[in-house]
Amino acid sequence: MRVPLNWLRDYVDFDLSVEELVELFSLRSQEVDGVERLGVLEGEVVVGEVVEFGQHPNADRLNVAKVDLGGQEVQIVAGAPNPYPGARVPVVLPGSTLADGRKLKKAKLRGLESYGMMMSERELGISNDHGGILLLEGDYEVGRPVSDYFPAGETVLELDVNPNRPDLWGMIGVARELAAILKTAFRVPEPRFEPTGEPTDDYTLRVEAEDLCPRYDLRRVSGIRPAGERAPLEMRRRVHAAGMRPVNAIVDATNYVMLETGQPIHAFDAREVRGGIVVRRAHPGEKMTLLDGTTRQLDEEMLVIADQERGLVIAGVMGAEDAEVGDETSDVLIEVATFAGRNIMETSQRLGLRTDASGRFERGLDPNMVSYAMDRVVGLLAEHPGGQPAPATLSHYPEPARPWEVPLRLSRAELLLGMPVEEDEAAERLELLGCEVRQEDGRLFATVPTFRRDLEREADLIEEVGRLVGLENVPERLPGVPLPGGLSPAQRKLRRLRHLLADLGLAEAVTYPFGPDRWNRDLALQNGDAGEEPLKLRNPLSAEATNLRTTLLPGLLDAAARNRSFGARGGAVFEVGHVFESSEQPEGMREYALRFRLAGETGLDAEVPTDLLTGVTEKGKVAGLLAGTIYPPGWNVPAFAAGFFEAKGIVERLVPGAIFEPRPRPFLHPGRAAAVLSGGVEAGWVGELHPDAVEKFGLEGWPVAAFELDLEVTEPDPAPRFAPFYNVPPVSRDLAVVVGEEVRVGDMLEVVSSLGSPILADVRVFDVYEGSQVPTGKKSVALNFTFRAEETLNDAVVKEDLDRISERLREVFDAEVRSS
Amino acid sequence: MCYHSALMMAVDRIEELREEALSAVASVGSTSDLESVRVRYLGWNNCSAELTEIKKGIRDLSPEERREVGGAANKATKEIETALAERREESVAVAEREKRLSSEAVDVTLPGVPYPKGSLHPSLRVIDEVVDFFVGLGYRVAEGPEVETDYYNFTALNIPPGHPARGMQDTFFLDEGLVLRTHTSPVQIRTMLSQEPPVYVVCPGRTYRRDSDPTHTPMFNQIEGLAVDKGLTLGHLKGTLAAMARHVFGEDVSLRLRPSYFQFTEPSVEMDVSCFVCGGSDPNCKVCRGAGWIEMGGAGMVDPAVLEEVDYDPEEYTGFAFGFGPDRMAMVKYGVPDLRLFFEGDLRFLQQF
Ligand SMILES: [Zn+2]
Repeated sequence: MRVPLNWLRDYVDFDLSVEELVELFSLRSQEVDGVERLGVLEGEVVVGEVVEFGQHPNADRLNVAKVDLGGQEVQIVAGAPNPYPGARVPVVLPGSTLADGRKLKKAKLRGLESYGMMMSERELGISNDHGGILLLEGDYEVGRPVSDYFPAGETVLELDVNPNRPDLWGMIGVARELAAILKTAFRVPEPRFEPTGEPTDDYTLRVEAEDLCPRYDLRRVSGIRPAGERAPLEMRRRVHAAGMRPVNAIVDATNYVMLETGQPIHAFDAREVRGGIVVRRAHPGEKMTLLDGTTRQLDEEMLVIADQERGLVIAGVMGAEDAEVGDETSDVLIEVATFAGRNIMETSQRLGLRTDASGRFERGLDPNMVSYAMDRVVGLLAEHPGGQPAPATLSHYPEPARPWEVPLRLSRAELLLGMPVEEDEAAERLELLGCEVRQEDGRLFATVPTFRRDLEREADLIEEVGRLVGLENVPERLPGVPLPGGLSPAQRKLRRLRHLLADLGLAEAVTYPFGPDRWNRDLALQNGDAGEEPLKLRNPLSAEATNLRTTLLPGLLDAAARNRSFGARGGAVFEVGHVFESSEQPEGMREYALRFRLAGETGLDAEVPTDLLTGVTEKGKVAGLLAGTIYPPGWNVPAFAAGFFEAKGIVERLVPGAIFEPRPRPFLHPGRAAAVLSGGVEAGWVGELHPDAVEKFGLEGWPVAAFELDLEVTEPDPAPRFAPFYNVPPVSRDLAVVVGEEVRVGDMLEVVSSLGSPILADVRVFDVYEGSQVPTGKKSVALNFTFRAEETLNDAVVKEDLDRISERLREVFDAEVRSS
Repeated sequence: MCYHSALMMAVDRIEELREEALSAVASVGSTSDLESVRVRYLGWNNCSAELTEIKKGIRDLSPEERREVGGAANKATKEIETALAERREESVAVAEREKRLSSEAVDVTLPGVPYPKGSLHPSLRVIDEVVDFFVGLGYRVAEGPEVETDYYNFTALNIPPGHPARGMQDTFFLDEGLVLRTHTSPVQIRTMLSQEPPVYVVCPGRTYRRDSDPTHTPMFNQIEGLAVDKGLTLGHLKGTLAAMARHVFGEDVSLRLRPSYFQFTEPSVEMDVSCFVCGGSDPNCKVCRGAGWIEMGGAGMVDPAVLEEVDYDPEEYTGFAFGFGPDRMAMVKYGVPDLRLFFEGDLRFLQQF
């Protein structure tokens, strides 16, 4: 809501700087989004009379005027050609500052002195018209300050009105609010007019859709002076300052009253209305060509204001070209009505058409505002352009809204606000807001006016009292929390996991969980595979952000590609986040599912797992991506590049004791992919990316490895458990064996460990070799064994164990011992 | 000038000189010092070398005296020479080691071995900090799904179907009755439905709104909190948030509340934190843009309708709820100019945290 302060002074007196006003509104009522200034900020603007006007001798496009400022004649150079001798014009004097920051000085233009400036409407903040100098018509006395007639400058507060306060969408409401803050009075203009025009009931009024239209008032104003006339200067100035475009005298008057009261008003050209007004739902397939030039197809839930033959307005949203007020209009029907806010909102959403009016109706307007707004607009039209209001209004208002009473306990107010609340203070504040207040045994009973539909309950009144008294008076206290609090074990684990990954050198990313169809396609995930069919947003921001991710991988791959495009040589990132899978809903579950989703209950006695009701399984995952050269070589360290074992090493830290089994995935290199098993259950995967996927994600030429794990199975910091040890030096032995190249070292280690040697403390793989020293099709595997016992081990015992190991490896893997 | 002394005096003097010389040998540091000790005590041409002078004077003594004094002098000389030789050897070894060590010197200005250094996302850093603060007060952390039902996301929060507030939260829709949660408030509802008061929880997490411009991203983080207990007031809310602001932004900041509107709180407030950089003194401050205050988020006393929805008695219990944007807090705290950077996975950004 734009609030021109000079206009606001019509209703309430205040002596505050703009800064003070901004602060007061912000701390007591609504946030002030900004302050805009129009016209002349500082200085003097006086009425001048053009004495001479002619071409500038040295410039084709300039003119020069002699202007009488009341006893003083000055020379002014102007661009505009429209002034003429005898015209009265506003002249801003040197030393003044304009809203755009320009400071006026005496100047010489092409050799001629120019004293001040004759001003256009735009320069004065009256409209956006910059076509010429404003010619003052009417009783303007030469030499008097323009501000005796209208403000030459304006300050506009931009209030960010909360949606529960439609009363603040009008100047009167804003004035009432300021008066309540300042504890002062405010006043409302009294409409006055002679009801001598043609009768309204030459036309009929029929409200068919009563449920969507609680009130509809219609009054005729006839005998309006010929068309195209402009509204009075001050009205145009105010309408412009409030952010609307001045149009003509009739439309401006309706807009002016809307800005004043918050109540939208529509004017029909009475000659174009056939028979009368019908308020009805749109007919199936009904179409209307609107003022904005578009033709819209309506549906049967949309409310239409029609005459007996055709639709004239989409109620509360926008009018059609037919029956709009035009330059020829001299007889109008004024509509002031209240519509069901929700219906207007839905109509405007379905049409994708929001207007000033629809925004107001959506919030739910006060039907009792209608009478005042009607009188006011009719009164203004009578003043200018000389309309004659009809003797009576046709009104459809079957169920008048009445004020309601809300009790307020002071003890409750003090409890909620945490500060003392004086009974009289509370009563006064509520009265200033328009309530009638009765005080009785420590309780207030507020009768709430119908324009404050947000004040329904005790808590609503307490809020009003609290903010008007001032929230800075609320003391700061800390509650004594009677609970131990803390992170759950899973939350603690997640913290450690993230810190561990960061310590291992990965950068934590947070990426969008929605992406394009390309994601699954480029990962070769077949739609239709269990759990791989992505959930889709119904209203994505773009086709690039439609599908909910089923894995964290594509977001990280896209990030890697972006980093590459910025010149990165590689990098390591991880993300912790949710993935989303659609789950099949059992037959007949839909009805219960919808009840659960919309009403929070299924209507069933039995507990049903919520993912059956939502059709969505959401899982916490952690994924990491190593791409390209992660660390370049240093002067004393080699480069560190992405690879299967680099990724696997991280997984080994995250899931101690995990088993890795070769298992292909469509997006992984078939020979470099493993399932991660924890406690026999598949908990994720690790692998190098398939060259196709690498290329599709724009990472061709880079080694790329990744992993993804269920958060549940990760154990970044397993609980320690003490194991005894002895002060006896361990014995270390190497064993190199030659096996077939297909033999998996993991299987060899498992066989070794299954021997269950009580003295074998550790096995380390220290070399794997294929090449000239080893027969073709074979590889050499070098193992280091650490033996340890309670007492010093003698060679014989160690040898016995080592022999057992060699023997077993020979049996199982046909291993040939090369050295030991 | 040289002189002779009586026999016993000479023998005592030799003993004195011996001790003096040995202790001199023990205390010298360098090879050249050793040489001057030798010259001082044993130098043949040095007439101030007393032991030498005594030996030179032996031939003037009687044979008995000669034997006695001579023996003592020779013994002393031998001991001093041995000591000198040992020390000389030692000091050569020291010199050699010094030479070797100095040849092993490294350029200490070369960089150390680069141990891996990753980073934690700035928004999650702020979330962790805020969570730690509330955990310290006795709060628990509650979490919930990101695909939420219409009921939990709106209706249970006093935003029934058709309410204008729904239109304000540009919502992503999935299948009928399912949305991407527009705030973490549904987690509060789920928490209240699952337990009796007192409730003290914070709910961090990702939230979604269909909005994309330089200052809005379709996903953003939120951290909300809820306290329901007997006797909770707006003063408790104010004190809690002020303490939290001091925890995150420093001891000197203060908090102010402004009236606001949310469907699920009444009274509702906005909270501003005084600028932790300029305190309002710098009209060109980059952090507060001269306002002196930084908008932190919304809060309020839990609306009685919300308490009734979860079967808490609003006459017995009151509560407060609050919510802030950790992304924006991180922008302010770390001086990040553009929200969109947070979700692009750009290493040039991530590696700064
Ligand atoms: Zn600042």
